Amino acid sequence: MTALVRSELLKVRTTRGWWAYLIVLVALVGIGTAAEVGSRSLAERRGLDFQLALVDLVGITSLLAIVLGITIVTTEFRHGTITPTLLATPGRGRVLAGKSIAGVLIAVFFALLAFVVIGAVAAVWVSIGGGELQLADADVAERAVKTLVGVVLWLLLGLAIGAVVHSQVAALVGTLIWIFLVETLVIGLLSLLDAEGVGNYLPFQALDGADGAGGDDLLDYWPALAVSCGWIVLLGALGVARTSGRDIT
Amino acid sequence: MIEVDGLSKRFGKTQAVAGLSFRVEPGTITGFLGPNGAGKSTTLRSVLGLVHPDAGEATVLGVSYGELDRPLHRVGAVLEASEVHPGRSGHNHLRVQAAAAGLPASRVEEVLALVELSAAAKRRVKGYSLGMRQRLGLATALLGDPEVLVLDEPANGLDPAGIRWLRDLLRSLAAEGRTILVSSHVLSEVAQTADRVVIIHRGKLVKQAPIEDVLAGAQGGTVVRSPELDRLAGVLSKAGGNVLMGGDGAVVGLPPERVGELAAANGIVLHELRVEQATLEEVFLELTGGETTQ
Repeated sequence: MTALVRSELLKVRTTRGWWAYLIVLVALVGIGTAAEVGSRSLAERRGLDFQLALVDLVGITSLLAIVLGITIVTTEFRHGTITPTLLATPGRGRVLAGKSIAGVLIAVFFALLAFVVIGAVAAVWVSIGGGELQLADADVAERAVKTLVGVVLWLLLGLAIGAVVHSQVAALVGTLIWIFLVETLVIGLLSLLDAEGVGNYLPFQALDGADGAGGDDLLDYWPALAVSCGWIVLLGALGVARTSGRDIT
Repeated sequence: MIEVDGLSKRFGKTQAVAGLSFRVEPGTITGFLGPNGAGKSTTLRSVLGLVHPDAGEATVLGVSYGELDRPLHRVGAVLEASEVHPGRSGHNHLRVQAAAAGLPASRVEEVLALVELSAAAKRRVKGYSLGMRQRLGLATALLGDPEVLVLDEPANGLDPAGIRWLRDLLRSLAAEGRTILVSSHVLSEVAQTADRVVIIHRGKLVKQAPIEDVLAGAQGGTVVRSPELDRLAGVLSKAGGNVLMGGDGAVVGLPPERVGELAAANGIVLHELRVEQATLEEVFLELTGGETTQ
């Protein structure tokens, strides 16, 4: 499995897309941090709220993580590289497991890189105003771990989606439409039926609840985490079945 | 070594392979021939566990491909030259495969040198010619130093020098005791390289034999040229010979002695009289009912 994971990580790192992900991540998180710091008064910058808000900026990488997750699987079908991949590792469930472990490592790397960018930009920006950045609070540490787990969940859901829908364009466009349109519409419909609570169990509502920051209309953290994992396991099982049954022609 | 037993596979309305059985003997080069759409690729992909057959089975080294331990060390395959990420360099493509097989990075340099692709290895595959992609495919297949090689149309896109190079490479690989199954539509290529041929048509086995037997059993002909070709053709036809006209000559289904006697008896001048061996191409066309492989 170590060899398989190394191979999967190498696949991700040896195309130009990887650098695009890193550049976009650094740019978005950097700009987000600057905006967050800039919108706060000197007094606010000493508060816990500010520190938590900074940590929450890691969530920016979630969308990158799900896109990368989808791409890790679908690029194999798009370019036909699934053939050499399966010749090296005939077990298709095993290939997806290797991709999942590699995906978790990449998601953790994304989150850590985001922390570094946030810390660097915020430290410089805050010190310009004559203040000092404090990120030592236990609440901040807990929030940081939760946001990191959140990024991992987004990437894993992307992998599962890619394993079900092998067409890269369909998987990416479908997922974005689902996130930005379908769930909103479904929630709207549910509220008409006086059942808006049900909407919280939709995949991206659950993921939203499991990002550490939470929200008034969302599930609490632990239920949200459980529902998110449920969706990933369900789609992942479908994806293994779909990928295993497919003829690679 | 490679055994296909009662293999059937249908894609939608197309019966790609229909009850196909054949064996590839250890230590031989076997040419796998058939017109386009005969089911060659489907068969090879079934052998490699990529396609799930509807019926029958395909085994390699006695087990199904999925049951092989460290498969890249046992079986090397080149299926399509396009199955490489265009944005990745050839070198990195090999590194990815080597990592998956648990092979050291030094092996990548070795196979690159073996297929004479070292100079272009750091370039992205997008810019490769078809011939370079074929070489990269071969390098990928050879990474694990496997005892069995399965090659689907490896001569595609190679220039004459490349084809000669491929022939020499296959021969030297076979000389090391490897088993090679190679599909091709360049029949003369197979004739010069293969020990045995497996010919399939519409998903079914047509012939499986050593190549000498296939050629020996085939009908050759007598080539004749004459300034009075039409009259000669009439005489030969009357004598029971099947005459195929072409340009200023003809191919006749009679032995050359008989053609010469008939010409002399009728006072017809001959400009050429020789025996022509049946080529694999002719055998192939005969066996598959005239459908071309292109």
